[in-house]
Amino acid sequence: MRKFKVFADFNEEETYLNEMARNGYFLKKHSAFGFYHFAENIPEELHYHVDCRKFKTQADFEDYKALFEDAGWRHVYGTKNSLNQYFLPKDGNSDGNIFSTKDSAALRYMHLNKICYANFSFAISYLIVLLMIYDFNLANIGFLTQGLWKMTGKLFWLAFFFELPFVLLRAAPVVLSLLMGIVYAVWGNKAKKIYSNMMVDE
Amino acid sequence: MNVSKYLPLTETTFYIMLALRKAGHGYVVMQKVEELSNGRVRVAAGTMYGAIENLMKQKLIISVPSEDSRRKMYRLSPLGHEVLALEVERLKSLVEVYQQIESEEVHSK
Repeated sequence: MRKFKVFADFNEEETYLNEMARNGYFLKKHSAFGFYHFAENIPEELHYHVDCRKFKTQADFEDYKALFEDAGWRHVYGTKNSLNQYFLPKDGNSDGNIFSTKDSAALRYMHLNKICYANFSFAISYLIVLLMIYDFNLANIGFLTQGLWKMTGKLFWLAFFFELPFVLLRAAPVVLSLLMGIVYAVWGNKAKKIYSNMMVDE
Repeated sequence: MNVSKYLPLTETTFYIMLALRKAGHGYVVMQKVEELSNGRVRVAAGTMYGAIENLMKQKLIISVPSEDSRRKMYRLSPLGHEVLALEVERLKSLVEVYQQIESEEVHSK
């Protein structure tokens, strides 16, 4: 089974995965596009823990996984570049945590925030480059057929549908990069807010 | 170089640095910290990894060749030794001030 979900709050994400396991769905994979892949099995009471990290090298990633395994965690899912890393306690003990200090637990949100802001900058730069191509004139993205809107009847529809795919092709990257920019800005802000709240209250 | 900018150390960082006077990988450090603190300070895996990353960035520890191909080994750097020693001096002087005040109070009674 696949489910699309986006979380800025890791605690909410952990609760969601625990709930899915209670219903017999176990995390198999979390794709880059926000899809959670689940395998069905006998329901179980599990306690997932999520870390968010970027690794420079494969060796760093291996070292990271080895440390968690040594400390009694099973690495459920995560790749070198997947950011989110999912863990379950090996012997089913539920009171353990992957963080022992408030600061280190909060730092996950800072990592997420940085990545979101980086993606936001990328999306917006891409948008600006796209708009530059069109001379910052949205009319250049739309229908370019001369006198299209003055045409009538069959001729209009013929010309309209002839150019429509080209218009969509021009517009899609612009709309998509704008959308991505907004999504990452909102997501990053949410993560930052959680981080600040964690660092303020005891 | 201004070493005092690294101070004060958190209790967790202090124990991790103390444990890394001898080279070791992450899990060895976790066990050593627990042992050194009589089980009072327990560093979780995620916190440990972040702490190592941070100490590496500050150059207070260095990575040393490891026999284990998966697990990286670290050791306190000369700068780390200096910082640790300075932190101990800082803590000592705190305790001294406390004891002095305390003994003055006892004498004045």
